[in-house]
Amino acid sequence: MIHFYRVSKHYPGGHRALDDISFQVERGEFAFLTGPSGAGKTTLLRLIFRQEVPTSGQILVNGRNVASLPRRKVPFLRRTMGVVFQDFRLIPRKTVFENVSYLPRVLGFDGQRQKRLAYETLRRVGLAHRLKAFPLELSGGEQQRVAIARALVNQPEILVADEPTGNLDPEMAREIFELFLEINRRGTTVLVATHDTRVIERLNRRVLALRAGRMLGDGDTASSDSSAQLAGVEPALSEAVGG
Amino acid sequence: MALHRALSYFVREAALNLARSWKISLIAVSTIGVSLFIGGALLLLTSNLERLVSDWRNQAKVIVYLRAGMPARAEGELAALLRQPAWVTGVEPVSAAEARRRFERYFPSVADLVHGWGEEPLPASLEVAFDPGRVDGAAFDTWLQRVRAQPAVGMVDDDRDWVRQLQSALQVVGALGLALVAVLLVAATFTIASVIRLTAYLYRDEIGIMRLVGATELFIRGPFYVEGLLQGVLGGGMALATLYFGYVVLMPHAPRTWLAGALAGAFLPARDQVLLVALGATAGLVGAVVSLRREDV
Repeated sequence: MIHFYRVSKHYPGGHRALDDISFQVERGEFAFLTGPSGAGKTTLLRLIFRQEVPTSGQILVNGRNVASLPRRKVPFLRRTMGVVFQDFRLIPRKTVFENVSYLPRVLGFDGQRQKRLAYETLRRVGLAHRLKAFPLELSGGEQQRVAIARALVNQPEILVADEPTGNLDPEMAREIFELFLEINRRGTTVLVATHDTRVIERLNRRVLALRAGRMLGDGDTASSDSSAQLAGVEPALSEAVGG
Repeated sequence: MALHRALSYFVREAALNLARSWKISLIAVSTIGVSLFIGGALLLLTSNLERLVSDWRNQAKVIVYLRAGMPARAEGELAALLRQPAWVTGVEPVSAAEARRRFERYFPSVADLVHGWGEEPLPASLEVAFDPGRVDGAAFDTWLQRVRAQPAVGMVDDDRDWVRQLQSALQVVGALGLALVAVLLVAATFTIASVIRLTAYLYRDEIGIMRLVGATELFIRGPFYVEGLLQGVLGGGMALATLYFGYVVLMPHAPRTWLAGALAGAFLPARDQVLLVALGATAGLVGAVVSLRREDV
C-alpha cells in the first residue's frame, strides 16, 4: 500500500530531512511513525501525499509512483487518501458540513449525495448534530473529528495523520485514537505520526521510529521481547522519543 | 451536470469573495469602469461624427462655377455634359444673383462684401448632385477632369475633398482614442490582477487545504477567474450606466457646442453596448488568469 525504497529528502543548504529510508506498510495495516521533533516524520508524510518530492528513491502509494507523478495527477492521488493534521486545517469561514462536503463537491456529486456523505461521515465521528456550526465554535477535539470526517468522506484507502492529538488533552486524544482504530478495522490503512509513547505502547501496533532523518527501527512494541525482527525497536523508540 | 454544478459553485464563491472584500473590489471595478467610460464616450463621439460625415458625404455636390459672360447655349451644353454619367442625380443652375442672395443669407454679418458692385460679384454655377453609392472613383475623376477642361468652366469645387479630409481626421482621432483606451484597459487589467492576487493571498491557507483534499487547480482557481470576470462585467456595466445617464440626463442641459451636438446624435447601438461590457469581462478574466498563472497561488 505504501512502499518507500531508499528514499532521501535533502533541502537546499545541505539539510538532510530523510536519509535512505526504506519500509513498507501493507493494506489494512495500522502503523505509528515516531521520533523526536525534527526526526523527519512530517517530511515523510508530506512525501506520501506529494506535498514534497524526494531527492532520491522511489515511493509507491497504492500502486502509484508518487515521486514521478505529474503535477496534474496529484489531486487524483490525494483523493484516494485522507490526511489529518495537528492544527486541524479546517476552513474557518465554511461550516462543518461545507468543510466535510468539499471533496464530494470537487468530485461533482449532486447536492443530495454531498449531504448524505457528509452526514454519514459526521455521524461516524459523532458530530452529525454540528453540521451548521463553524469550526471556531467547536472544541479542539470536535474540530479534529471534523478534520477526520473530511479525510474519510471519500472512503479513502489510506489515512495519514500528522500528530493528530498534539493539541488535545489526553481524554480527547484517547477518543481520536479509538476513532482511528475503528477506521482501521473497516479496512483503511492508517499511518499516524506521533511522539506520544503512552499511546504507542497502549495501542500495541507497528512502530516506525525515526531519528535525524534515519530509520532507527521498525517493529511492534508489544512483542518486542519475543520477536527477533523487532529487536532494537524499543531502545530505538525510547531513544527516538527521548524516553 | 458536474460542470454545471462546478460553475454554479464558482459563481457563488466569486460573489461571496466580492461581497467580503467589497472595498478593494470596488477599486478594481471603478478602474475598469473609468477606462470603459472614456472608451465608450470616444465610441459615442466617433460613431456620431461618422454618421454626420456619412450624411455630409451623401449630400456632397460638385459645384461647377461658370466663367462670366458665357452665352446661355454654352451653359446648356455644359449642363448636358454634366448629366451624362449614371451617378449624376441632378444638375441645378444657380444664377449669379441667386449666389449673391445665398451669400447674404448665410453670412449676414459680412453681407456688405457683395454690395455696391457694378455687376454681380459672384459667378453663376451648376450644382451637380450625385449618388455616392454609384460613383466609380476613377471614372469620377476622369469625368471631373473633362468638366474642368471645358471652356465655359471657371472653377470646380468637389465636396468630396473636404469630406475625405474630415474622414481622415476622424480616423486619426479614432486611432488615438483606441490607443488611449487600450492603455487604460491594460492598466485596469493589472489592477484587477493585483486585487485577485491579493484575495488569493488572503485565502492562501484555504487554498492549501483545498489542494490537500484533492481539488484540481481549475476547481481552486475557478472562483477567482469568475471573480475577475464579474469585476469586468460590473465595470463595463458601470461605464455603460454612467454613459447613458450622462446622455439622457446631462446632455439636454449641456451648452450647445458642436461637441455636444455630435454626442447628442444617438446613443451607442446595442452591439457597441455589448462590446463595452465584453471588453470589461475580457479585461477582468485576463487579469485573473495573469494573477494566478504562478504555481504558488
